[in-house]
Amino acid sequence: MRGRPHLHTSYSADQALMPTVTKKVVLAVFLGLAALAPIASSIPFYPDFLGDNDWMKILSHVAIFGIGALGINLLTGVAGQVSLGHAFFMGLGAYVAVVFGAPPGDLWGLGLPMWIWLPMAGIIPAIVGLLVGPAAVRVRGLYLAFATLGLVFIGEWAWRNLKFVTGGAFAGRKFPEFQWRVWKEEEPVADFASDGVWLGFEISEEAKVYLLMLGFLVVATLVAKNLQRTRTGRAFQAIRDRDIAAEVMGVNEFRYKLTAFGISSAFAGVAGALFASFVGRQIPETWDLFLSVEFIAIILIGGAGTVSGALMGTAFVIVLPRLVQDFTEWLSDVIERGESTLATVADVVVAVSPEDGGLINTIPGVGPGLSVFQLNQVLFGLLIILFMIFEPLGLYGIWLRVRNYWKGWPFTY
Amino acid sequence: MTVDLTAVVAQADHSQLAGAIVSGLSLGTIYALLAMGFVIIFKATQVVNFAHGALATVGAFITAGVAVELNFPGRFLDLPPFLGWAISVLAALALSAVMGMVLERVFLRPMVGENLFSVAIVTLGMNVILMTIVTDYIGPDPRSMADPWGDAVADLGFVIIAHTEIAQFGVAVALVLMVAGFFRTRTGIAMRATAFDQEAARAQGIRVGAIFAIAWAIGAVLATVGGIFGSVYPRRVGVYPDTALLVFRAFPAIILGGLDSVLGAVIGGLSVGVAESLAGSYLNHPWFGTGFSGIVPYLLMVGVLFIRPYGIFGTEEIRRV
Amino acid sequence: MKSKFRWLAMVMAVALIAASCGGDDDAEPATTAAPATTAAPATTAAPATTAAPEEEPMDEDEPMDVEEPSDMMVATDIGVDLDGGVIKVGMLSDLTGPFGGLVGLVAAGFNAYWADVNDQGGIGGLEVELVYRDTVYSVDNHVQFYEELKDEVVAFGHSTGSPHTVAIRENLEEDGILAIPLTWYSGWSDPALNANLLSHGTPYCIEAMNMIGYMHDIVVDSGVDSPTLAIASFPGDYGLDSAEGARLAASALGIEVVYDGSGAVIPGQDNAPIGNAIAQSGANIVWITANAATLTEVYGAAISQGFEALWSGAAPVWSQALVAPDSPIKDAIARDFYTSIYFSPIIENNPGTEFLRELMAKYAPEVPLIDYVVEGFIESMILHEALNVAYENGDMTQSGVLAAAKSIENIDFRGLAPSESYVGGANERLQRQIWINRPDPEALAAGTSPTGIRVIERAYTHPIAADYVFEEACYKLS
Repeated sequence: MRGRPHLHTSYSADQALMPTVTKKVVLAVFLGLAALAPIASSIPFYPDFLGDNDWMKILSHVAIFGIGALGINLLTGVAGQVSLGHAFFMGLGAYVAVVFGAPPGDLWGLGLPMWIWLPMAGIIPAIVGLLVGPAAVRVRGLYLAFATLGLVFIGEWAWRNLKFVTGGAFAGRKFPEFQWRVWKEEEPVADFASDGVWLGFEISEEAKVYLLMLGFLVVATLVAKNLQRTRTGRAFQAIRDRDIAAEVMGVNEFRYKLTAFGISSAFAGVAGALFASFVGRQIPETWDLFLSVEFIAIILIGGAGTVSGALMGTAFVIVLPRLVQDFTEWLSDVIERGESTLATVADVVVAVSPEDGGLINTIPGVGPGLSVFQLNQVLFGLLIILFMIFEPLGLYGIWLRVRNYWKGWPFTY
Repeated sequence: MTVDLTAVVAQADHSQLAGAIVSGLSLGTIYALLAMGFVIIFKATQVVNFAHGALATVGAFITAGVAVELNFPGRFLDLPPFLGWAISVLAALALSAVMGMVLERVFLRPMVGENLFSVAIVTLGMNVILMTIVTDYIGPDPRSMADPWGDAVADLGFVIIAHTEIAQFGVAVALVLMVAGFFRTRTGIAMRATAFDQEAARAQGIRVGAIFAIAWAIGAVLATVGGIFGSVYPRRVGVYPDTALLVFRAFPAIILGGLDSVLGAVIGGLSVGVAESLAGSYLNHPWFGTGFSGIVPYLLMVGVLFIRPYGIFGTEEIRRV
Repeated sequence: MKSKFRWLAMVMAVALIAASCGGDDDAEPATTAAPATTAAPATTAAPATTAAPEEEPMDEDEPMDVEEPSDMMVATDIGVDLDGGVIKVGMLSDLTGPFGGLVGLVAAGFNAYWADVNDQGGIGGLEVELVYRDTVYSVDNHVQFYEELKDEVVAFGHSTGSPHTVAIRENLEEDGILAIPLTWYSGWSDPALNANLLSHGTPYCIEAMNMIGYMHDIVVDSGVDSPTLAIASFPGDYGLDSAEGARLAASALGIEVVYDGSGAVIPGQDNAPIGNAIAQSGANIVWITANAATLTEVYGAAISQGFEALWSGAAPVWSQALVAPDSPIKDAIARDFYTSIYFSPIIENNPGTEFLRELMAKYAPEVPLIDYVVEGFIESMILHEALNVAYENGDMTQSGVLAAAKSIENIDFRGLAPSESYVGGANERLQRQIWINRPDPEALAAGTSPTGIRVIERAYTHPIAADYVFEEACYKLS
């Protein structure tokens, strides 16, 4: 049977998490590489900038948003319930975490350890998600998207006014740090909030946080991936593909829509709590409609309905702005040196002085042309459109095509 | 430097309730105009247009550009201010209509036949692009509409109302009648047929592509008119990029009336506007916190959806296996 | 066979990704070295021997001699490259967010100032390079960009936004880096908050006290015995700090607050009901801390009801667009409005503004001379002094610059603003002076006042503000 990946002789083999040895090896290598990123500079052939603190932060950001993306993917990608309310549940998770985890003071805080506040940040949004679920049974399709959009605005009002929890609009508050304590003792058992020494290696705060987030992401991925191949996951897909047909087949629509909202909200809540603590301080305006849209874009760019697509989409959307920024800086550097023909090309694209015309304007202040941030926005919008028009399966679809090409190589047809 | 403070008028003559209702109706007509364009686009082309806010902002920006920067037709003809401005606006509306048609042709025609949600996401992408570019062009200062009404107000006894608002009511009524009339013309009937069933309409010899273009042109024109009235006294001194947020506030109106009902859009817009204004004036108890009026439309929307999941005037989806 | 090929494909795909990352890797050093954001074309060839004409007033105890860099031993760690002759300064700016228009002007002022310093030979021959990051007024971006720049720059020329600056405060303290906050929050006077910050200017809270006091006096002079006040503001440090100042002044002067809409003005919502409520309240004085767009909504609704009063608000409320030639409310605004600012407007004639106008004409003629350019110059002068002192101390490490900055006893802004000191208690250091202006549509239309104002009071302090004793921030950020 070896070497024939699509020949499954038992149902369990067909449903295996990693059906082939190759898949196991590649995943192990990838995980190993991801875990080694903090010491990137001492590994040959490894992009060494990844170990820098700022890149550690970007990668942590990817890991945290990856958890959120897995949540929206379950709800929208797998179960087909379009929700623009993801930002609301992220905010809810963050504020649950801060109430349980922050030290008592001017604002509400119980000062409980992380092993309490992090699970609570999943549980309470899940309960609220279950309350929203029944609406999803009654309100369908686009109307549901608009109803969940309302949730974001209602949330904004709530966060603005619950000052004793959120710190108030445009003011915000500090969120609990990543420290493992057994109870409320002074010295944490494991401290991810300051530099330290692990196994004889000096390790920065950023690297510690990154490894912790990577761990959470792996757990979340396993949960999401496993869920998809259980009875629940199949029920989700049946509802997505044709809800009434699923009902006819005996899938309890009410129960599974509720489950989908609950689980997705739990993922969102945990991601929100981790994100708020990761940044350290958040203002209520963070949990706005644009955040929800960003998550929808993530799963569309990655490929809706697939776990790997959700993760690829997250990495792409979070890392892209930094790459664009570095690229424009590199272009203006080329112009500055002005030696090659490349400089002439770059000069058309980038404006480096007020008299200079160009699509991108690197001079802050007054002047025509798009700033780097605006360029990123335009690219973001353009990518959404292009993926929807040309590659509805997203990055996952591109990956499939690349894989299929190499599968048959050199006999490409 | 001293200011004549005796000029402070006795406001008590004018009832607060009448003021709040008129102010709500004025807001509501803007919502209604935006909602109407949205619904026409949705009905005729099956596109949920998340870029409607961008259409309103870009349209208002074009108006400012034509009326002030280009100074059309003032640079060629010496017309009375009102006539000159009306011509500028008509020119700007024509440009907006072209913009709507071009956007449809470039970004949405390739998506014909895809599922509703994918198409909606394309318009989200359009919204991001258009808003970024128009924000960059507008810059930090608002662009004036240069309208002929200025800050003139009329005292009707029970309420004081700005001339712009009177104009706005007139224009809105005219546009609603025009849209109603349009649906009785040959093209209008073709559009209704297309809304009913694209393939069947095509089989009947209706040029569905042309219908799409017309729907987008009408949608863009209505959005522009909404954008213009959202950017004049007493609301603003010109178009700011955040004019687009007006459409997010109009979404509840659209859902309230039903996504595919033009009549619903008008009624939804007016009722949401009045509800928001009344909430702003009367729900001031600290218990409501700040900005409660902003979520009243959404609460209304959610409430209506629970009772009628397809809006008050919307068509119920028939579910078949 | 097939699976073997597949395995090979996997390896190649991984190699492909690694290769493309490797490409990035090559680009990285070039990227970090890119002087992407220096202002005007820096003429490094220009002789750097002339002494800077805009001589910073030195403290008596500090040496006046400026040495060539080669003669001095200067300790450096991050952000100062003696061989390359570059000092890098980080800028956490909101260039395209809600305060983009204002911060863009501040950045323009920064660029012109440092283009001039660099043309004059920089700091002891070292050229100063400003590395901008556009935070878009988001705390996440702010923290991320801080992390990116802290390993690249010697100090932060400014940090936009109060919650944002508070978010990086602890990191600043841990890393021993200096930052200049670009916000006028009253909490910066609190020693618990400002260990690594060089705050400057009159806080929103004190500004409100001054203006309420000033307008109170006008109203009383006009024959009203007991003036009344209406307050409306944004939520957050900016709006609530200012609203609290207005309330403090009102209770000290015995003014009745007839409408209190603190935190009720919300951008993106319909703010007309607030204007209607203010009109209904019949207040003599209105204090509104928002932005120009929301001001027009509130003000438009109020005056359309025939309401007249004295209106004013924190400096960022003002925009010349309010009195632009085709603004429908320009006459009403000219009649009702008083505006204040924390420094000398550009239309004033003093050594500072003349210097500013000259530099802006030389380096950035396309930038309109709107008053926030001054803020760029003020922050630049503070930074310049800190870098100068650090250079003279021979310690241009991040912590050296911080220590130097915190030892500054007096910075004279040559008339642009009241002088600042970074030693001494919070109350001696607290700024209390503001400039009070009236709208001037004619001057704006004629082009003589790009900000659309004329000055009526210079370096003004009302007794209420002068007597105020600072204990803690008017509005506390938890």
